[in-house]
Amino acid sequence: MATLAHPDDLRRPNIASADIQLPAVTSYEQVDNEILAVLKPTKAWFASLMLAIACLGLGAFSWIYQIHQGLGVAGYNPPVMWGVYIITFVFWVGIGHAGTLISAILYLFRAGFRTTIYRAAEAMTVFAVMTAGLFPIIHIGRPWKFFWLIPYPNWRLIWPNFKSPLVWDVFAITTYLTISTTFLFVGLIPDIAVLRDRETNPIRRKILGFLSFGWRNTEREWRHFARAYLFLAAFSTPLVLSVHSVVSFDFAMGIVPGWHTTIFPPYFVAGAIFSGFAMVWTIIIPMRRWFGLRHYVTLNHLDASAKMVLFTSLVVGLAYMIEFFIAWYGGVKYEQDYFWNRVFGQWWWAAWIMLTCNMILPLSLFSQKLRRNPTWLWILSIFINIGMWFERFVIVVPSLSHDVEPWQWSSYMPTWVDYGLLIGSFGWFFMWFLLFVKQLPVMALAEIKEIIPPRMKHTHSHGGH
Amino acid sequence: MRGMMGVFSELDSTVEAIEELKQRKVGDLTVFSPTPRHELEHAVHPPMSGVRKFTLIGALSGVCFGFWIAIWGSNYWPLVVGGKAISTWLPYVVFGFEVMVMVGALSTVFGMFYLAGIPRLTMTVGYDPRFSRGSYGIFCECAPEQLVEAESILRRHGAVEVRGEK
Repeated sequence: MATLAHPDDLRRPNIASADIQLPAVTSYEQVDNEILAVLKPTKAWFASLMLAIACLGLGAFSWIYQIHQGLGVAGYNPPVMWGVYIITFVFWVGIGHAGTLISAILYLFRAGFRTTIYRAAEAMTVFAVMTAGLFPIIHIGRPWKFFWLIPYPNWRLIWPNFKSPLVWDVFAITTYLTISTTFLFVGLIPDIAVLRDRETNPIRRKILGFLSFGWRNTEREWRHFARAYLFLAAFSTPLVLSVHSVVSFDFAMGIVPGWHTTIFPPYFVAGAIFSGFAMVWTIIIPMRRWFGLRHYVTLNHLDASAKMVLFTSLVVGLAYMIEFFIAWYGGVKYEQDYFWNRVFGQWWWAAWIMLTCNMILPLSLFSQKLRRNPTWLWILSIFINIGMWFERFVIVVPSLSHDVEPWQWSSYMPTWVDYGLLIGSFGWFFMWFLLFVKQLPVMALAEIKEIIPPRMKHTHSHGGH
Repeated sequence: MRGMMGVFSELDSTVEAIEELKQRKVGDLTVFSPTPRHELEHAVHPPMSGVRKFTLIGALSGVCFGFWIAIWGSNYWPLVVGGKAISTWLPYVVFGFEVMVMVGALSTVFGMFYLAGIPRLTMTVGYDPRFSRGSYGIFCECAPEQLVEAESILRRHGAVEVRGEK
């Protein structure tokens, strides 16, 4: 049941997300001027870009060193042959979930709070999946052979094993990257046309004209655009749910304690949405402050997204508890021993970082005051990012290091090469994102204009949207 | 392509001008708007978008290809895994689904481009950069003898600028 907020009372009652409006934005010209002002480069932006490139340089150096020396320089210690690379792969795929969720699923549900954040989230998705895609390639040791996973006619006359979850992954991630990029680019076309029409430099104008495909804002173009966008959203909705389900099959198909469980697909999907929203906060909250966009991403928007984070945190917390419960209730000694080792044994510190960051701290979002406090949301987002990386650590490492047979028990310690590539992945991601925010509109101009009541000659007819 | 173009700053004025131009059957109309508006769609009353046909054809082709590549590849290079059948339907649903989404979505975008007449290398007549910012526009493509009538309708409904284009 929707409840409406009085404009003077910003804190209560709760605001139904679909009713979120932008009272401080009154004209189309204001939207263009304020959002396109973000495109002007600043010293802080250059400094951030340099930092990102430095991190990327460290990652590149680590990778080159690993290619030269062999995969042994990473911290693998049999039987722990999946470590930081696979953890970081799953982490970035998870981050990539929020963008398409916000674009597609919240679009179909008519959730108004998505309008001003979805462009940044979509870009984040594309760059996060680009980052994730690097890690299986880094992990295979001979990265130049990665194309063997792709089914194509070849002189070797061999084909991938289609029953392997790793091949499912290749299809799922490739589809997700393609569709997320398509979704982002299709949504950008009308906004690039706005840039084209404002551009005075003839070369840039030509490039923008090419990228906007000669978009003219005709009713015919909008009609087909709206229909195509709806179908893309309809395709993307099950895709979002399927991608992390398929990633979870990488684990759930293995007969390893802690992995072989049917709750993995929903558990992974909820975790992915949870971490994706946290990364959206990590990016959006400073952006709204530094670029003066607080009247676009209002406290109501943050409040609505905080409810989403709280909900997914509860789902993830429930999944953690169910894992422990089933281990106890199932009566399998090895499973019980494994879970005891995970929380109170060898890996207690990782498990408690995970439980604190993902289950305990997000409970603060039951407080409306904290849901509407951007500083707390940003701090919380960092904790969630850390917690979700450790969740994947807790899934991957303790299972492999504490398998069914005691002679296989081992440990795992990442090396500087692992850490270098982890830092490099953040550099790679933020480099692309920082380049994006200075080249293309970080909020969807056309969709924000749809929220604003259009200019009318007669105030009594054709009311606002 | 010859006609009269009017630039409007108000949505309702644009709608009224479209309605009168359609009522008097003055030429073919192209309507411009900075953002999609249902009011304009109702006034123009266009046919339903055909994008859905591209979506359906693309999705069906994709699902068929996804299953086919997995089944054909498995049979061509038979690997017995765990004593299971060479071609098993259940795991191949992943390929059917993923390729359906990929081909269906890409053909949807192709359909949108095809039906909307883009990509377009040059901006044709009857476009004004103001249409992407905040103004509405009507380009009325008509015979020379109807130009005066089109101009008068556009002006009467409050166009801030009316000009002939060819």
